[in-house]
Amino acid sequence: MVNSITILSAPLVSAVNPSSMDGIVVFISVGIFIFVFLTISFHLLHETTAALLGAVTVLLVTYIGGHYNPDLRILTFDDAMGVVDWNVIFLIMGMMILMSILDETNVFKWLAFRLYSVAKGNAWAIAVSLILLTGITSAFLNDVTAILMLVPLSIQMASAIGLNPMVIVIPEVLASNIGGAATLIGDPPSTIVGSHIGISFTDYLVNMAPVAIICMIALLVINWFQYRKDYGDAKRKVSKTLTDQLASDAQISNYVTLRKALVISLLTFIGFFVADIFGQMPVGVVALSGATFLIVWVKPDIHHMLRQVNWTTLLFFIGLFIVVGGMEATGAIEWLASQVILLAGNSLDRAAVLITWVAGISSGIVANIPFTIAALPVADYLTANIPGGTESRIIYWALILGADLGGNATYLGSAPNIVAVGLLSQAGIRLSFSRFARDGVPVTVLTLIIATIYLLIRY
Amino acid sequence: MGLILCATRGGEASYRTQQAAIALAKEQGDEIIFLYIIDLSFLNKSAAPIVVNIENELDQMGRFFLLMAKERATEQGVEVRTITRKGIVQEEIINAVLDEGATQVVLGRPAGIQSAFQTSSLETFAAEIERETKAITILV
Repeated sequence: MVNSITILSAPLVSAVNPSSMDGIVVFISVGIFIFVFLTISFHLLHETTAALLGAVTVLLVTYIGGHYNPDLRILTFDDAMGVVDWNVIFLIMGMMILMSILDETNVFKWLAFRLYSVAKGNAWAIAVSLILLTGITSAFLNDVTAILMLVPLSIQMASAIGLNPMVIVIPEVLASNIGGAATLIGDPPSTIVGSHIGISFTDYLVNMAPVAIICMIALLVINWFQYRKDYGDAKRKVSKTLTDQLASDAQISNYVTLRKALVISLLTFIGFFVADIFGQMPVGVVALSGATFLIVWVKPDIHHMLRQVNWTTLLFFIGLFIVVGGMEATGAIEWLASQVILLAGNSLDRAAVLITWVAGISSGIVANIPFTIAALPVADYLTANIPGGTESRIIYWALILGADLGGNATYLGSAPNIVAVGLLSQAGIRLSFSRFARDGVPVTVLTLIIATIYLLIRY
Repeated sequence: MGLILCATRGGEASYRTQQAAIALAKEQGDEIIFLYIIDLSFLNKSAAPIVVNIENELDQMGRFFLLMAKERATEQGVEVRTITRKGIVQEEIINAVLDEGATQVVLGRPAGIQSAFQTSSLETFAAEIERETKAITILV
């Protein structure tokens, strides 16, 4: 039973009472989820609109349908507030504020240009620097932010040395998804699962960073074999005018704000590491504290600052949590999880491999955020019901790695991919589905194999 | 002296279009305006946290591409200006032609899978430019 998992700090689990509701209400809750899932995955509606529509439908069915037939009650408003993981919401909000102030200083572009200068026109060195910078930035900020900050400059640098920008941008995107898996705050699936199981920032890092580093090395090796000819053909000499323009665009814009932002960011990251000491302080509290102290210190226009917070992202997550919470309340997820256990034959290793690859393949085809939120209660059920699951947490690690790494297979898999395709189109380059998959699928398969081996050896 | 407006982006496919506009300007003794349009519509369906000033990032990228185009034109002795605009590409090209008083417009035909446009829609668009602005539109 889902309620038996008392060891987890899991809002999805604790707030919902899976009563005897069955029959039509199960189909309604699953139908709402499938509608939201497909409209998000195939971009039929804005992601936030789809998630909100789903959440509102769950509530309207509960109140209006439930008025006439009590069996149609899926989630009350209080239940709905209970299933939202507010730690995730506050973490994302806090990091948004920190990132937007850091972005205004131009520090990451400055760093990218320094690396470009050090490479002295060597295309392979430039590509490796940018790929690693994107991966590391994704781990410590957020994958989409890393792509938005670094890809436009990468496109310019590639164009300046006569290199097809795709040769740098695609591996950067792949690196952002791999790097995002390394920390609790890097990629939405990492944040969602990490917060759900109440793991500390340090514990997460110790468990996931090693495999992310191995996958990053694998990406660089594949990248070398795929594009060594392109790197060799690139020109080393760039005109002074273009170099000056790159340098001018990559200047630090405000040293005072930069110093303050770096100090607060450093303290926030120290906070992430030590939060566990203070009564398992949630990372959302740390991020929000950092953001608030930075606002107090930098004194930006608060109205401008709050406009920088991307409310569509927060509402998207809130809507999804409610839709999946509804499905869990009807018992649909419990049924699905029991089928997975049957398939896994009660073997933890087999279940972990199954979750890694199902999550990996699914995340390449459909959006990985709704998939992860929906798969979490399944992971709870497997963890609680397969011997050894609670101690090793292998099912959760499998879900994180599958969802994060699987998002690399196609450009539909995760948000950084879609954003990068849009940025490339702004440079006059159409990155087709098959062209992305040509690079993405081999990297995904290899990194999922690495992840599987890592999970089986380590846990 | 006429004024040629060449809408451009930065991909390799656009170099051919830029070169055609430069050759035309040289032949006719015209001035060229290279135009880059920032179109943020690709962000419209995603709930990804966009905290970066992406308009500014794309403006810098656009200006960089325009600088590359300007270098090519200047090397060939053609007088050139550059402008960036923000909005829907089709609308902004027409607005730029009207605002700048361009007499000719040069647009690149789709070149392989890397092009951002489709041939059929481009031909329809070229006809629309001529209808709305009276500027001669050349697809290269």
